[in-house]
Amino acid sequence: MAQDIESTPDPGQVADWELELQKVGFARRILMARKWYRTDWWFVAISTVMVVGFLIVAAVPQWLAAHDPLEQVGPRLLAPRELPEQEILVVPIGGTIASIADFEPDVRTPVAVAIDTPSSEAARDEAERVTDEIAASGGEGRIRLQIERRETAEEALAAVETGEAVAAVISSKTYEAIAAEFPTLKDSGAVSSAEQDATSFPLGTNQVGQDVLSRLIWGARIAIIIGFSASIASFVIGVPLGLLAGFVGGKIDRVMTLIMDSIYAFPGLILAIAITAVLGPSIFNIIVAIAVLYIPTYYRIVRGQTLQARQALYVEAARSLGAKSKVILTRYIFPNVIPSVAVIFSVNVADAILTGAGLSFLGLGLPLSIPDWGIDLARGQEFIRSAWWLITFPGLAVMSVVLAFTMMGEGLVEIFNPKLRER
Amino acid sequence: MTERASTDQRVTVGEPPLKAGEVLYSLRDVSVEYGTRAGPVAAVDGVSLDIRKGEILGLVGESGCGKSTLGKAMLRMITSPGNISSGELWFDGVDLLTLTEKQMRELRGARLGMVFQDPMTSLNPLSKIVDHLTETIMTHEPRVSEAAARDRSAQLIGRLGLREERIDDYPHQFSGGMRQRIMIALALALRADLVIADEPTTALDVIVEAQFLDLLRELRDEFDLTIVLITHNIGVVAEVADRVAVMYAGRMAELAPVNDLFLATKHPYGQGLLRAVPNIELDGTELYQMEGAPPNLLHTPSGCAFHPRCPSVMPICSAHQPSFQPVEWDHYTACWLYESHPDKGKAPDA
Amino acid sequence: MHPLLIVFLIFGIPAGVALGWVFLRGSESLRRYILTRIALTLPMVLILISVVFFVLRVMPGDVVSSTLGPKASEAARQNIMEALGLDDPLIVQYFRFLGDVVTFDLGDSFIGARRPIVDELGERLPATLELITPAAILALGSGLLFGTYAAIRRKKPADYSLRLYSVIIYSMPIFWLGLLLRLVFSVWLDWTPIAGRIDVVTNTTLVRTTNLLVVDSILTGNWAALRSVLHHMILPAMTLGLVLSGVFIRLTRINVIETLQEDYVVAARARGIRERVVTYSYALKNAMIPVVTVMGLQVAILLAGAVLTETVFNWPGMGRYLIERISSRDFQAVQSTVAVFALFVAIISLAVDVIYSILDPRVKY
Repeated sequence: MAQDIESTPDPGQVADWELELQKVGFARRILMARKWYRTDWWFVAISTVMVVGFLIVAAVPQWLAAHDPLEQVGPRLLAPRELPEQEILVVPIGGTIASIADFEPDVRTPVAVAIDTPSSEAARDEAERVTDEIAASGGEGRIRLQIERRETAEEALAAVETGEAVAAVISSKTYEAIAAEFPTLKDSGAVSSAEQDATSFPLGTNQVGQDVLSRLIWGARIAIIIGFSASIASFVIGVPLGLLAGFVGGKIDRVMTLIMDSIYAFPGLILAIAITAVLGPSIFNIIVAIAVLYIPTYYRIVRGQTLQARQALYVEAARSLGAKSKVILTRYIFPNVIPSVAVIFSVNVADAILTGAGLSFLGLGLPLSIPDWGIDLARGQEFIRSAWWLITFPGLAVMSVVLAFTMMGEGLVEIFNPKLRER
Repeated sequence: MTERASTDQRVTVGEPPLKAGEVLYSLRDVSVEYGTRAGPVAAVDGVSLDIRKGEILGLVGESGCGKSTLGKAMLRMITSPGNISSGELWFDGVDLLTLTEKQMRELRGARLGMVFQDPMTSLNPLSKIVDHLTETIMTHEPRVSEAAARDRSAQLIGRLGLREERIDDYPHQFSGGMRQRIMIALALALRADLVIADEPTTALDVIVEAQFLDLLRELRDEFDLTIVLITHNIGVVAEVADRVAVMYAGRMAELAPVNDLFLATKHPYGQGLLRAVPNIELDGTELYQMEGAPPNLLHTPSGCAFHPRCPSVMPICSAHQPSFQPVEWDHYTACWLYESHPDKGKAPDA
Repeated sequence: MHPLLIVFLIFGIPAGVALGWVFLRGSESLRRYILTRIALTLPMVLILISVVFFVLRVMPGDVVSSTLGPKASEAARQNIMEALGLDDPLIVQYFRFLGDVVTFDLGDSFIGARRPIVDELGERLPATLELITPAAILALGSGLLFGTYAAIRRKKPADYSLRLYSVIIYSMPIFWLGLLLRLVFSVWLDWTPIAGRIDVVTNTTLVRTTNLLVVDSILTGNWAALRSVLHHMILPAMTLGLVLSGVFIRLTRINVIETLQEDYVVAARARGIRERVVTYSYALKNAMIPVVTVMGLQVAILLAGAVLTETVFNWPGMGRYLIERISSRDFQAVQSTVAVFALFVAIISLAVDVIYSILDPRVKY
């Protein structure tokens, strides 16, 4: 509307549409805001959903993670969704044999293998195991194998085709490569029943054999704990100090501002590094280090807003009417300060998580027993060529969480800041 | 005239200049709408107005009546979420609404000028005064050299009562009154035909305001200007205007030569305005206050927008909107008191 | 001549000249302002350095034991302590420390190479400078350019995609971006070298004076070296610059949007000034002032990012030095490095403040 409109409506005549707007509930208002803010609304909505998602993951990782993040649950450096290499039993399709346990006891069953492979040993081990099982259940009889050696895996499979062998034992990887040439044969699963249930891991395993996905999920917990704790700590310390400095002014203000400016101007990460180096690696110390970093941010903004509000005309008016300082602080200044602080908080959490990841990447943060994205990234570096998934997924995880919080803050800024609205 | 013709392709060279009194700018049934959260609002609703060459036309009304919007519309400076939804803006034989933005830009500053309300913020704090002026001049007359532009600028601000040496100073080094003069200088730099002054004295104190108004009158004579003076202060208008237009709720309420308006006001709103002006001869009597409150533009009252507050309201007033037409020679108004209608006098249907 | 000294000269002389010019040409109040500002910087640096000092003294983990091992004899320990002056009262140590800093006597690195720390830093500081300068230019340049573009195309697809880009890139951990870029460009595509500042062979041909390798190679006309240096610089500088560009795009955008809504912009349009002139002369020039001021603060982020980037790309700068020294528990070096960082930041923010006061004619000193 034109700049000079300053309609002071009659107190009894608030615009109708404003009354209506106040009648609807909070949820309706959110939906109505969508029409007005459009894309910015989507920014905030999507990021809020993401944030809630992360919070849930962080709260109950034990329900969501399939494996223990510290346990070695698979072979090293398994690619995502790759099955570990196993010795498998290859049998004719439509045959009666599905595993070594199906072999007739006391009959020398021919089994084809390729030379110079561990296949024969795997077969023999399984045969022994089945024999022991039979004995344990009170039965009699031994599984006996006749190992038919062939030069290559193809010849071994050919032997099954021609009937020279009842089954073949070869590595799963090899079979994958040549399976197409033997359409009458099929993979009957791992030779060793212990390995029968070997699964692939959706994001692979790391160099110690831990499941990457589980580590990601548990890592979320640490990241969010650090992020939130540090931000809350900074908030709790910075906001009151800022209010105090802005409201009281004078020497206290000058001294505090000098200290805060010094901290603020100093490269954050380096300060955090220094503090962590001094205090030693532990979660608590990281939180302390990061919290110190962000106290000045809250301090400055709150102080600035308080100064502004304190000099505002309506505060002068209130004072002239005899309002006490405490009342002025709580009723006039505080409510003006809150929106900006809310925005800062979300961005702060994002930054804290980034800094935390940086610290653990540099090896300065957490004890190694805690699953953490930064550490995973650091350790994954050396396998950059061979196992790309070691650094990709933790990095994506950090990025997503930080992105969610930043987007939320960014969207809120557009919505809260009246100066940015179109006139 | 030939200078301008070279940059402005529309005006043919050699067209005879308008004589005083002829219509310079004609608004025909212009409406400006703003899209708000709660629906479209008509800030200006069907306004028709002829502006005559050489006059100072005062445009008055309370805050929110649409006068500033109308001023901006005349330069086609309405920005989203607002837009000129209907009507025609006839200037120099062309409907401005048919021009491209580029053509409009050529007109602005060169033939149509605007002086804004707040001189504090209307000047670029990082540019010297001379830069403001020379930039305006050289944008519209690219063949003028920088030195020549500088000279013109110096002369101009000299004419406006500022010391020529100060041309290299920055805006913050001037007082409000001086800055307002600089704004006029900018409008005059290219000898604009029409200057729209949007609340030019609202931010100035009374003495500076008086000087400013005198200056306006002088400039009008010297530079052959036509001025539209938008203000909510009828005192200012009484001082300086030749004709006065009164707006209410985005519509024209009354338009007359200044004496006729003040001595023989037709529209009840105008009458109320004048009665409300504190008079030094009133001793002890209460100040007059118009009933009711300014209209809600989202839900404009039906029929005549003023009817809820009008002391002379009739049944027809809430049913039909009166049309803006002359009731005496050169005196227009929109009111059922002066217009006849078959339904007039009948009670509204129950 | 000592490399560190040369670096300070290279930056100091033009800065001094500029400062002197401003001082002499400026008004009385401007001089007072500059002096006051310098005066204010000192306490800040002092505070930081003091904090570093005391904090490191409080550190768990004893310098002496780390050096000599836990089985050191009492006599050996006593010797070392005396040599380091660790047996004096804390206050005495503190003032001695301050004196040392002022005279650039940063002591000797205690562990490992045992070189004078000043020498080490003399090599590392220029390296870090060479990393952050192109990064800063990239960030500021792209920030101003794209930020303005996003502001004038507000609420259109270009605006949203730029905002999305800037938010995404800022959310990426620097080290991750560095690793990814390295993976793509150095490992897969083999376009850029994996690590280091210059390739080993060419290094032997380069005469180092300032340790700013770009400068050195130009000074000696060693074009092969220049090529190698630039080649090595691309990826790290790009990593750092990209992440920071996110910040600047957002910042510029918001400031330009606000400026475009100012009255003087509307007034300019009412005078028929071309839109492009309005955008650049009026809006951007005015918006740049707050952006440039923030740039001063962003030096801190640059340095922080530099630490991580140097680690990923094995860039022999101050950041990596700091990390190394911390793991070796070389407190003398850590202390000195942090002090140098503090000084650096202080000087830059001073410079930015002075520039700001020059740029904005409204600033009343």
